[in-house]
Amino acid sequence: MISVEEYVALLRDELALPVTEDDLGRSLDTVDAWDSVHLLTLCTLLERRTGRPVPFARVLEAPSLVAVYELATTS
Amino acid sequence: MTELPPAAEWPSVRGLLAELPDDALPRAGRFLARLDPAEVLAAHPATPVVSLYVTGHGTLAALRPALAVELARHGLLAGVALADFDAWVRDLADPASELYTTLGKAGGPAFALAVLDPGIVAAELPPPWRADDAARVLDAKVTLIEKLAATFAATARGATLVLNTLPLPRELTAQLLDRRERAALGAAWREANARLLRLDRPEVAVVDLDPLLAEGIRARDPRQSVYAKAHLTDDLLAAYAREVGHLARQAAGLAKKVLVLDLDETVWGGVLGEAGPEGIEVAEGYRGEAFTRFQRVVRQLGSQGVLVAAVSKNDPEPVAGVLRDHPGMTLRDGDFVQVRANWRPKHDNLAELAADLNLAVDSFVFADDSPFERGLVRRELPGVAVVDLTAEPALHVAALLRDGWFDVPRLTSEDRARPARYREEDARRGFLEGFDSLDGYLAELGTEVRLAPADPAQLDRVSQITLRTNQFNLTTRRLSPAEVRDLADDPDARVLAIASADRFGEHGLVGAVLLRRDGAVLRVENFLLSCRVFARGIEQAVLGAVLEHARASAAREVRAAYRRTAKNGRVAGFYPEAGFATVHADEAGAEFRHDLTRPPEPVPHIRLSADFGGRHP
Repeated sequence: MISVEEYVALLRDELALPVTEDDLGRSLDTVDAWDSVHLLTLCTLLERRTGRPVPFARVLEAPSLVAVYELATTS
Repeated sequence: MTELPPAAEWPSVRGLLAELPDDALPRAGRFLARLDPAEVLAAHPATPVVSLYVTGHGTLAALRPALAVELARHGLLAGVALADFDAWVRDLADPASELYTTLGKAGGPAFALAVLDPGIVAAELPPPWRADDAARVLDAKVTLIEKLAATFAATARGATLVLNTLPLPRELTAQLLDRRERAALGAAWREANARLLRLDRPEVAVVDLDPLLAEGIRARDPRQSVYAKAHLTDDLLAAYAREVGHLARQAAGLAKKVLVLDLDETVWGGVLGEAGPEGIEVAEGYRGEAFTRFQRVVRQLGSQGVLVAAVSKNDPEPVAGVLRDHPGMTLRDGDFVQVRANWRPKHDNLAELAADLNLAVDSFVFADDSPFERGLVRRELPGVAVVDLTAEPALHVAALLRDGWFDVPRLTSEDRARPARYREEDARRGFLEGFDSLDGYLAELGTEVRLAPADPAQLDRVSQITLRTNQFNLTTRRLSPAEVRDLADDPDARVLAIASADRFGEHGLVGAVLLRRDGAVLRVENFLLSCRVFARGIEQAVLGAVLEHARASAAREVRAAYRRTAKNGRVAGFYPEAGFATVHADEAGAEFRHDLTRPPEPVPHIRLSADFGGRHP
């Protein structure tokens, strides 16, 4: 598992995204410095961190960072 | 690195990265990729930039951070342009494409990375398919790539096309049920890769992915491949970017020339001062065999022109004894250009060694198992590349070879002879000490110089001199082998090779003069001389011959330029001292002219033969 705080830290420290918890609900295309390729790296990082598979196809359709978080943490 | 470094702090980035373990580099790359190269250049205009145009078959955005960090590890700023998805054939085939216009605008070294993945074959297999079908597609693809490489060579002068071998996915081989069919697919696939590796063009470099995969890097993730068209994993692209970093470092003229080794726990196991020559671990026992393996690899590098030296905190006599008499040693005193065993700080020894070899410490690679010694050298001599050896000698070889420090585009016969030449240089130094004055020494040295148009076999070596020479390099314009070939073919230009010899032996090809005839003006486009032989009058004698030639061939004047770099300050006065007048000069450099009214100063102790190869230039 990964908490919301840890998720934000991962986005900031590992993915180099300047985001806060307030940005999680925003539409991805309005997130500062966001690029669609970040989703792929984020999937890899989340799988390494949580030790469980992330549903790639659904993550690629996720509208926001919080939606990615939910996909990675609910089975 | 856990935050975006400000552009102003770029010069410290290389040192920060040197301290990071491999698994922290991707993260650092994602931060560095957000740095705007223009801002770094605004703060530090002298930063070397390498232009990289990335194209290929799949999603390659992960290469941007990977290239940013791998080039930054060598102090290079990556200017990365990412092509449209799956545009590689169009990019390479059309001389008016974005790829060629981008590379054409590059100020420094420029690369096109055409990243190939197994999808280029898999996507064209008919349903259903057999090994024959795959062989046909592979053959067509490699033929296409060969044609594209020819177009590239003709269009992007001076730039390098980087290709790679194709990993063979089990998802393909396992679809063929017949054992012979499956083997036939494997064979055809390897044949295609072998054809790529045999693409022997100076403008093309092929990164062989097999050795990277053999290290245990995963080639593909089916989900990333299927859903995101990312056909190669981030890990493999990171390893590929490291190889590209090595190519970029070579093209930027940052070649390493000297390997400096610690001795205790680096070359042999144990501490010589405590264990004595009988107690050190070498050749025998588990650890001893590991050290011998490392010594063999060092010798292998030495046989290809790397100058090997030792700097060890030890008394000199026991070290000399081990290198001379220890029955288990592979490396002997003759394998080292210098052995410095003393108790002084290693960075002082490295600086003195650099002065003795007449090389910059920036061309040194230093390998030591002691974190203390490595840290001190990193701090005192930030230009030295430091290899982190550990307490596990079986890992020494991998650590030494990790960054291809000594890789060159083409090894020349000069390279192989280099260590012997430097050892001769030690003999010359001994000879010098017997004379009261330098003039007396030079007169006895019997230096012969031959100046003549470079023959085709020497053009690679001339390119290498432009890439590797930093001190006696009047304009520091780096030339790829293809660019040198273009100059040699240009009727208005001339590529002259300088070769020399003296009583101690042949120096071989030690420099080059690039001339261009422009009406009544003879222009010296660049003048280069190996640091091994300068300050003996060779440069004055050769320049004198150029001036004589200009006068004899009815030139009105000779023009020459100096472009300042961090390394070539000592040749700023070269042209004025030879009677050239300064046309203009500023911080960036100077332009000179010689009106040919006065003859050049003779250099009596040099016997020079000059051949300018016919009437022009």
